[in-house]
Amino acid sequence: MNQSTNAPSQANHQDDFVLDGLAPAHEEFSLEADTVETQLDHEPVQDSLILNTEDPEQPKVSAQIDLEGMDKPVHQVSIHNGAEQAQVVQFQHAHTLLESLEAQEVAVHYQCREGYCGSCRTQLLEGEVHYTEEPMAWINDDEILPCCCIPKTPIRIKLP
Amino acid sequence: MSYTTFNQKTFDTLKQPMFFGETVNVARYDIQKHKIFENLIEKQLSFFWRPEEVDLANDRKDFIDLPDHEQHIFLSNLKYQTLLDSVQGRSPNVAFLPIVSLPELETWIETWSFSETIHSRSYTHIMRNVVPNPAEVFDDITRNDFITRRAVSVTKYYDELIEKCSYYTQLGEGTHTINGHVVDINLRDLKRTLYLTMVSVNVLEAIRFYVSFACSFAFAERAKMEGNAKIIKLIARDEALHLTGTQHILQIMAAGKDDPEMGEIAASCKDEVREIFLDAAEQEKEWAGYLFKDGSMIGLNQHILAQYVEYITDQRIAAIGLPTIFGAKNNPLPWINSWLNSDNVQVAPQEAEISSYLVGAIDSAVDTEDFGDFDL
Repeated sequence: MNQSTNAPSQANHQDDFVLDGLAPAHEEFSLEADTVETQLDHEPVQDSLILNTEDPEQPKVSAQIDLEGMDKPVHQVSIHNGAEQAQVVQFQHAHTLLESLEAQEVAVHYQCREGYCGSCRTQLLEGEVHYTEEPMAWINDDEILPCCCIPKTPIRIKLP
Repeated sequence: MSYTTFNQKTFDTLKQPMFFGETVNVARYDIQKHKIFENLIEKQLSFFWRPEEVDLANDRKDFIDLPDHEQHIFLSNLKYQTLLDSVQGRSPNVAFLPIVSLPELETWIETWSFSETIHSRSYTHIMRNVVPNPAEVFDDITRNDFITRRAVSVTKYYDELIEKCSYYTQLGEGTHTINGHVVDINLRDLKRTLYLTMVSVNVLEAIRFYVSFACSFAFAERAKMEGNAKIIKLIARDEALHLTGTQHILQIMAAGKDDPEMGEIAASCKDEVREIFLDAAEQEKEWAGYLFKDGSMIGLNQHILAQYVEYITDQRIAAIGLPTIFGAKNNPLPWINSWLNSDNVQVAPQEAEISSYLVGAIDSAVDTEDFGDFDL
């Protein structure tokens, strides 16, 4: 019989295997094993994604250095979303306006967070922003992409 | 005008409109009319990935354990995605390349269409890993009424544009009798067809795809079919870029600076554009009915998916500067954002399938035995 060496025949198996006398060789037996738990051993993928565990507007260590004679670039952001009173928050530490708004529980639509999808497109009513990354998505003259900009002055924005 | 692969005329590229100007000759990018298209090309190239990089071993087990109605949802959704990318893998090339007039836009169209072919290959990768006989699933795409009905609505504008442009490039403007049919070809009408085709492409990429993504991610949200979701995440990243591309084209057309006639056409087509968006939304809702015909899944049902269709339709129509249709302001599937966010692909790149780490990677597990017959 022509058999490859890495696939031993059934007969070889039996020769290798000696039962310890608890069960006669011809009887069926099963190997005992501890119960195998088949519970999910991992959290859903989304939990392991990078999501900010720290509040970007209340960081333990601020990346901003105190400079004498210079005010910290803290700007007021007023949000108009149809309600009579505008909601007012402060932009102070976050990397982007989007992060700042999210940290202060203002819901903004988002997808790519790098300026190419345009999901966060928001109307800028007043003030100026600085783009930290060149926005690629289409924006009209009066619109901004909060995911890649920071305010340069106090701003007023309109959310849908 | 007949199409030539290398236009011998000398002309100022910067004075050409995006479409229906001189055919492109030198593929040069030193001077550009719309720099955005080169930015899009660069971004798309930086996204390059291969489906084989994503391991789907667990998905097979997950799939077997899914109840029948969820298997139906998963497979039908995958069939629909396959159909959409089959169309997108060729149509921008076939429809737009013969009429494009700017080198950077021409290259963007090619880059865009190429990335869709990667998506098509990834569906085969998924099928091979998940079902015992992928052929059955693929064959059903042309046999299943529900799917073929979808095909008509996604291709009719493309087909009309391709047909008219082929007459235009062969015979030019005028009234022609072709095989006994009288066909009236004029440039303004062609531009109008182009504009509406571009709208329907935007609808395909910005609405139809997103509805299918929602289904894929709904499985992963329950820790099922996670490999599939990783692939869809990569596809969604590409599609976000593509829809930005079509939004730019549409906005440049509507602004009319590039081609004043196109601006007039865009202004006069607003009702038809709205109609295209509305039709697509209705068709997607109908599709949701088919998906969930045998039962819902945890986290997603026909009703919620229909709300998502309305929400995403409003978002997209607003992005091209038209009033919203449904007034749906809130995303009924807020968890989808973090799935769509490509930044979140993995915590540590070396841990798993982050594409830039594994491109061209080899198996580096070496055992001393491998050097057994090695002599110095």
